[in-house]
Amino acid sequence: MPGSRSMRLVESALRCYPQRWRSRHGDEAAEIASLLIRDGTPAHSIAWSYLLGAARTRLVTGPRRRLGAAAGALLLAVGSLGVPLALLSSSAPANAASVVHSRTAHPRPADPLTPAARAMTRAGHPVARRAARLPRARRRRRGAAY
Amino acid sequence: MAARERDDTGGQDVLRRAGDASVLILTSLADGSKHGYALIQDIKGFAGLQLGPGTLYGALDRLERMGLIEALPAEDRRQPYRITAAGVVALRAHLDSIERVTSVGRLRLGLGGI
Repeated sequence: MPGSRSMRLVESALRCYPQRWRSRHGDEAAEIASLLIRDGTPAHSIAWSYLLGAARTRLVTGPRRRLGAAAGALLLAVGSLGVPLALLSSSAPANAASVVHSRTAHPRPADPLTPAARAMTRAGHPVARRAARLPRARRRRRGAAY
Repeated sequence: MAARERDDTGGQDVLRRAGDASVLILTSLADGSKHGYALIQDIKGFAGLQLGPGTLYGALDRLERMGLIEALPAEDRRQPYRITAAGVVALRAHLDSIERVTSVGRLRLGLGGI
Protein backbone atom coordinates (compact mmCIF):
# COMPACT_ATOMS: atom_id res chain seq x y z
CA MET A 1 0.00 0.00 0.00
CA PRO A 2 1.57 3.29 -1.02
CA GLY A 3 2.31 5.75 1.72
CA SER A 4 -0.44 8.22 2.46
CA ARG A 5 2.04 11.07 2.10
CA SER A 6 2.85 9.98 -1.47
CA MET A 7 -0.82 9.71 -2.30
CA ARG A 8 -1.52 13.10 -0.81
CA LEU A 9 1.11 14.53 -3.14
CA VAL A 10 -0.49 12.84 -6.13
CA GLU A 11 -3.99 13.88 -5.06
CA SER A 12 -2.82 17.47 -4.77
CA ALA A 13 -1.58 17.28 -8.34
CA LEU A 14 -4.85 15.70 -9.47
CA ARG A 15 -6.77 18.59 -7.94
CA CYS A 16 -5.11 20.84 -10.52
CA TYR A 17 -7.14 19.24 -13.30
CA PRO A 18 -10.47 20.78 -14.27
CA GLN A 19 -13.50 19.44 -12.39
CA ARG A 20 -14.88 17.83 -15.55
CA TRP A 21 -11.67 15.88 -16.06
CA ARG A 22 -11.57 14.80 -12.42
CA SER A 23 -15.11 13.53 -12.48
CA ARG A 24 -14.29 11.36 -15.47
CA HIS A 25 -10.71 10.21 -14.84
CA GLY A 26 -10.03 11.15 -11.23
CA ASP A 27 -10.67 7.77 -9.58
CA GLU A 28 -8.78 5.82 -12.20
CA ALA A 29 -5.91 8.31 -12.18
CA ALA A 30 -5.54 7.89 -8.41
CA GLU A 31 -5.63 4.13 -8.80
CA ILE A 32 -2.98 4.20 -11.53
CA ALA A 33 -0.81 6.39 -9.33
CA SER A 34 -1.25 3.95 -6.47
CA LEU A 35 -0.27 1.00 -8.70
CA LEU A 36 2.74 2.83 -10.15
CA ILE A 37 3.98 3.78 -6.67
CA ARG A 38 3.57 0.18 -5.64
CA ASP A 39 5.69 -0.80 -8.69
CA GLY A 40 8.45 1.52 -7.50
CA THR A 41 7.81 4.69 -9.47
CA PRO A 42 8.64 7.73 -7.31
CA ALA A 43 5.53 9.59 -6.19
CA HIS A 44 7.03 12.95 -7.05
CA SER A 45 7.53 11.95 -10.70
CA ILE A 46 3.91 10.79 -10.90
CA ALA A 47 2.73 14.02 -9.30
CA TRP A 48 4.90 16.03 -11.69
CA SER A 49 3.47 14.15 -14.66
CA TYR A 50 -0.06 14.89 -13.47
CA LEU A 51 0.83 18.54 -12.87
CA LEU A 52 2.13 18.90 -16.42
CA GLY A 53 -0.91 17.04 -17.72
CA ALA A 54 -3.21 19.36 -15.79
CA ALA A 55 -1.46 22.41 -17.23
CA ARG A 56 -1.77 21.01 -20.75
CA THR A 57 -5.42 20.14 -20.20
CA ARG A 58 -6.19 23.64 -19.00
CA LEU A 59 -4.26 25.15 -21.91
CA VAL A 60 -6.04 22.98 -24.47
CA THR A 61 -9.60 23.05 -23.18
CA GLY A 62 -9.67 26.30 -21.23
CA PRO A 63 -8.72 28.84 -23.87
CA ARG A 64 -11.27 27.48 -26.35
CA ARG A 65 -14.11 28.21 -23.99
CA ARG A 66 -12.55 31.49 -22.97
CA LEU A 67 -12.01 32.29 -26.65
CA GLY A 68 -15.73 32.03 -27.29
CA ALA A 69 -16.48 34.30 -24.35
CA ALA A 70 -13.77 36.72 -25.47
CA ALA A 71 -15.13 36.75 -29.02
CA GLY A 72 -18.61 37.51 -27.69
CA ALA A 73 -17.27 40.26 -25.46
CA LEU A 74 -15.29 41.67 -28.39
CA LEU A 75 -18.38 41.72 -30.58
CA LEU A 76 -20.32 43.50 -27.84
CA ALA A 77 -17.50 45.96 -27.35
CA VAL A 78 -17.26 46.65 -31.07
CA GLY A 79 -21.02 47.06 -31.23
CA SER A 80 -21.12 49.42 -28.29
CA LEU A 81 -18.10 51.35 -29.51
CA GLY A 82 -19.36 51.49 -33.05
CA VAL A 83 -22.01 54.08 -32.37
CA PRO A 84 -19.84 56.61 -30.52
CA LEU A 85 -16.95 56.08 -32.95
CA ALA A 86 -19.27 56.65 -35.87
CA LEU A 87 -20.51 59.82 -34.20
CA LEU A 88 -16.96 60.94 -33.55
CA SER A 89 -15.86 60.27 -37.10
CA SER A 90 -18.80 62.23 -38.46
CA SER A 91 -18.18 65.21 -36.20
CA ALA A 92 -15.82 67.92 -37.35
CA PRO A 93 -13.64 69.02 -34.45
CA ALA A 94 -10.59 67.48 -36.10
CA ASN A 95 -11.28 69.49 -39.19
CA ALA A 96 -12.47 72.60 -37.43
CA ALA A 97 -9.06 74.23 -37.62
CA SER A 98 -8.80 73.49 -41.27
CA VAL A 99 -9.62 76.50 -43.37
CA VAL A 100 -10.36 74.31 -46.33
CA HIS A 101 -13.12 72.40 -44.57
CA SER A 102 -14.57 75.42 -42.90
CA ARG A 103 -15.09 76.88 -46.33
CA THR A 104 -16.79 73.87 -47.81
CA ALA A 105 -20.25 74.29 -49.15
CA HIS A 106 -21.59 71.53 -46.85
CA PRO A 107 -20.48 72.18 -43.28
CA ARG A 108 -20.39 69.17 -40.95
CA PRO A 109 -23.54 68.99 -38.87
CA ALA A 110 -21.83 68.21 -35.57
CA ASP A 111 -19.29 71.03 -35.67
CA PRO A 112 -18.87 72.02 -31.99
CA LEU A 113 -17.37 75.41 -32.74
CA THR A 114 -19.48 78.40 -32.07
CA PRO A 115 -20.15 80.62 -35.09
CA ALA A 116 -17.96 83.30 -33.55
CA ALA A 117 -15.04 80.92 -33.06
CA ARG A 118 -15.49 79.61 -36.58
CA ALA A 119 -15.39 83.15 -37.92
CA MET A 120 -12.24 83.84 -35.90
CA THR A 121 -10.69 80.64 -37.22
CA ARG A 122 -11.40 81.71 -40.75
CA ALA A 123 -9.69 84.97 -39.90
CA GLY A 124 -6.64 83.03 -38.74
CA HIS A 125 -6.76 84.24 -35.13
CA PRO A 126 -4.21 82.22 -33.07
CA VAL A 127 -6.46 82.05 -29.98
CA ALA A 128 -9.28 80.73 -32.07
CA ARG A 129 -6.98 78.13 -33.61
CA ARG A 130 -6.00 76.90 -30.15
CA ALA A 131 -9.64 76.83 -29.15
CA ALA A 132 -10.46 74.91 -32.28
CA ARG A 133 -7.76 72.36 -31.51
CA LEU A 134 -9.07 71.73 -28.01
CA PRO A 135 -11.96 69.45 -28.95
CA ARG A 136 -9.58 67.47 -31.16
CA ALA A 137 -7.28 66.80 -28.20
CA ARG A 138 -10.26 65.89 -26.08
CA ARG A 139 -11.37 63.50 -28.73
CA ARG A 140 -7.91 61.91 -28.80
CA ARG A 141 -8.00 61.44 -25.05
CA ARG A 142 -11.41 59.87 -25.29
CA GLY A 143 -10.20 57.55 -28.05
CA ALA A 144 -7.20 56.49 -25.98
CA ALA A 145 -9.46 55.64 -23.07
CA TYR A 146 -11.31 53.16 -25.27
CA MET B 1 -5.06 18.35 -43.15
CA ALA B 2 -2.32 19.91 -45.21
CA ALA B 3 -1.55 18.31 -48.55
CA ARG B 4 2.07 17.76 -47.57
CA GLU B 5 0.90 15.40 -44.84
CA ARG B 6 -0.80 13.20 -47.38
CA ASP B 7 1.19 10.08 -48.13
CA ASP B 8 1.66 8.30 -51.46
CA THR B 9 -0.96 5.69 -50.71
CA GLY B 10 -3.67 8.31 -50.41
CA GLY B 11 -3.97 7.91 -46.65
CA GLN B 12 -3.33 10.76 -44.26
CA ASP B 13 -0.73 10.57 -41.57
CA VAL B 14 -2.80 12.35 -38.98
CA LEU B 15 -0.51 11.02 -36.27
CA ARG B 16 2.51 12.90 -37.59
CA ARG B 17 1.88 15.72 -35.17
CA ALA B 18 -0.01 13.78 -32.54
CA GLY B 19 3.13 12.85 -30.62
CA ASP B 20 4.90 9.63 -29.84
CA ALA B 21 2.61 8.81 -26.92
CA SER B 22 -0.37 8.72 -29.28
CA VAL B 23 1.40 6.30 -31.62
CA LEU B 24 2.45 4.09 -28.72
CA ILE B 25 -1.09 4.02 -27.35
CA LEU B 26 -2.62 3.18 -30.72
CA THR B 27 -0.02 0.46 -31.21
CA SER B 28 -0.84 -0.95 -27.80
CA LEU B 29 -4.58 -0.87 -28.50
CA ALA B 30 -4.12 -2.52 -31.91
CA ASP B 31 -4.38 -5.98 -30.36
CA GLY B 32 -7.33 -5.28 -28.08
CA SER B 33 -8.88 -2.88 -25.62
CA LYS B 34 -6.95 -1.83 -22.52
CA HIS B 35 -7.32 0.53 -19.57
CA GLY B 36 -4.76 3.07 -18.43
CA TYR B 37 -2.52 0.97 -16.23
CA ALA B 38 -2.52 -1.92 -18.74
CA LEU B 39 -1.52 0.55 -21.46
CA ILE B 40 1.41 1.81 -19.40
CA GLN B 41 2.59 -1.73 -18.70
CA ASP B 42 2.18 -2.88 -22.30
CA ILE B 43 4.04 0.13 -23.71
CA LYS B 44 6.81 -0.41 -21.19
CA GLY B 45 7.03 -3.99 -22.42
CA PHE B 46 7.27 -3.38 -26.17
CA ALA B 47 8.84 0.11 -26.32
CA GLY B 48 10.95 0.07 -23.18
CA LEU B 49 9.68 3.37 -21.85
CA GLN B 50 7.19 4.22 -19.16
CA LEU B 51 4.61 6.81 -20.07
CA GLY B 52 3.87 9.23 -17.29
CA PRO B 53 0.21 9.04 -16.28
CA GLY B 54 -0.31 12.71 -17.12
CA THR B 55 1.10 12.13 -20.59
CA LEU B 56 -1.06 9.05 -20.97
CA TYR B 57 -4.31 10.85 -20.15
CA GLY B 58 -3.40 13.79 -22.36
CA ALA B 59 -2.81 11.48 -25.29
CA LEU B 60 -5.97 9.47 -24.57
CA ASP B 61 -8.07 12.63 -24.53
CA ARG B 62 -6.48 13.84 -27.76
CA LEU B 63 -6.96 10.51 -29.54
CA GLU B 64 -10.56 10.32 -28.38
CA ARG B 65 -11.24 13.84 -29.69
CA MET B 66 -9.69 12.82 -33.01
CA GLY B 67 -12.00 9.79 -33.13
CA LEU B 68 -9.07 7.36 -33.25
CA ILE B 69 -9.99 5.59 -30.01
CA GLU B 70 -13.20 5.25 -28.05
CA ALA B 71 -13.97 4.66 -24.42
CA LEU B 72 -15.74 1.46 -23.48
CA PRO B 73 -18.07 1.16 -20.49
CA ALA B 74 -16.08 1.56 -17.30
CA GLU B 75 -15.16 -1.54 -15.34
CA ASP B 76 -15.16 -0.58 -11.68
CA ARG B 77 -12.80 2.45 -11.57
CA ARG B 78 -11.01 1.51 -14.78
CA GLN B 79 -11.90 3.00 -18.14
CA PRO B 80 -10.95 0.74 -21.04
CA TYR B 81 -10.34 2.13 -24.52
CA ARG B 82 -10.31 0.53 -27.92
CA ILE B 83 -8.99 1.60 -31.28
CA THR B 84 -11.59 2.70 -33.85
CA ALA B 85 -11.60 1.96 -37.58
CA ALA B 86 -10.27 5.47 -38.19
CA GLY B 87 -7.56 4.76 -35.64
CA VAL B 88 -6.52 1.62 -37.50
CA VAL B 89 -6.28 3.58 -40.77
CA ALA B 90 -4.31 6.37 -39.09
CA LEU B 91 -1.91 3.96 -37.40
CA ARG B 92 -1.36 2.06 -40.64
CA ALA B 93 -0.63 5.30 -42.54
CA HIS B 94 1.77 6.44 -39.84
CA LEU B 95 3.61 3.10 -39.70
CA ASP B 96 3.94 3.11 -43.50
CA SER B 97 5.42 6.58 -43.31
CA ILE B 98 7.86 5.56 -40.58
CA GLU B 99 8.79 2.47 -42.54
CA ARG B 100 9.70 4.52 -45.62
CA VAL B 101 11.85 6.85 -43.54
CA THR B 102 13.46 3.88 -41.79
CA SER B 103 14.29 2.22 -45.11
CA VAL B 104 15.89 5.34 -46.50
CA GLY B 105 17.79 5.93 -43.28
CA ARG B 106 19.15 2.39 -43.19
CA LEU B 107 20.14 2.53 -46.85
CA ARG B 108 21.95 5.79 -46.39
CA LEU B 109 23.77 4.45 -43.36
CA GLY B 110 24.83 1.44 -45.38
CA LEU B 111 22.79 -0.91 -43.24
CA GLY B 112 20.59 -2.17 -46.07
CA GLY B 113 16.83 -1.87 -46.39
CA ILE B 114 14.36 -3.67 -44.18
